[in-house]
Amino acid sequence: MAAGPVSTGKGGVQTAWVLNLLTDLAFNLLIFFVVCASISPDKGRPQQVPSASKDKATEQKNQNIEVAITRTKVSVNEADVPTAELRDKLAGLLANKTRPEDRIVVVKSEKDTPYSQWIRVTGIIEQVGGVITLQLEEEREVGVK
Amino acid sequence: MRFKRRKIEIVPPYVAMADIAFNLVLFFIMMAKTQDDSHIQWEPAKDKAAVTKQIDNAKVSISVDRDNKVYLNGLQLGLRELADKVTLELGDLPPADRTVLLKIHKDTLAATFEPIMEAVSQAGGEVVHVIDDEQ
Repeated sequence: MAAGPVSTGKGGVQTAWVLNLLTDLAFNLLIFFVVCASISPDKGRPQQVPSASKDKATEQKNQNIEVAITRTKVSVNEADVPTAELRDKLAGLLANKTRPEDRIVVVKSEKDTPYSQWIRVTGIIEQVGGVITLQLEEEREVGVK
Repeated sequence: MRFKRRKIEIVPPYVAMADIAFNLVLFFIMMAKTQDDSHIQWEPAKDKAAVTKQIDNAKVSISVDRDNKVYLNGLQLGLRELADKVTLELGDLPPADRTVLLKIHKDTLAATFEPIMEAVSQAGGEVVHVIDDEQ
């Protein structure tokens, strides 16, 4: 399988390519291109998650749409909405709002809400043009004397 | 009867060595390009008609597997240390390069994934959820 000088028997040395070496090289190139093609880049859904501002929280509390997600149901402004009707409900609430600050949707999740449910609901919110803001429970350390 | 002794020249197989060198190059390319997160077992969430975009060379990847373990670039760590580590990884990168991939198992609960998103937001990263298109 090695290639190298091959004696022709007449005193002169000729270097000859062996056919199976070319096959080997072609196979290596094939593997190289398969590896490059198989390392596919990741793709995903980008999401802007602005951090909550404590100063504005109470001021905008009554103005923003609130969506609460649990394991089994979704509620909009404290009213339960079936998942099938969620898109239309949110589209109606966001209909006349053109400014980004008016399209803020505060998303609150129960601790046992699965990620798949969260992705589905937030996907619907983004599709109707809502700007998602997460409402998270704050943890504080309190010293007890 | 006298037989002539043929002189056998021993020549290194140069072309085969080039083959081996090429294989080594391939090996190092593969090791350099991929992050070692093949051991993390997770299933992406599905979303209908999700608008996804291709992410090239994200510097930071946070994964949550089916056992609720959190990994940053393939290394396991706790939720409390996540914000600092992400800040360290992102450093002074420009806004366009501060993408953080979230590869979260579909059954992970909000108690786990919400602090992760908060940590990324605190570190100034841009969250990208790696999900499957539901068909």
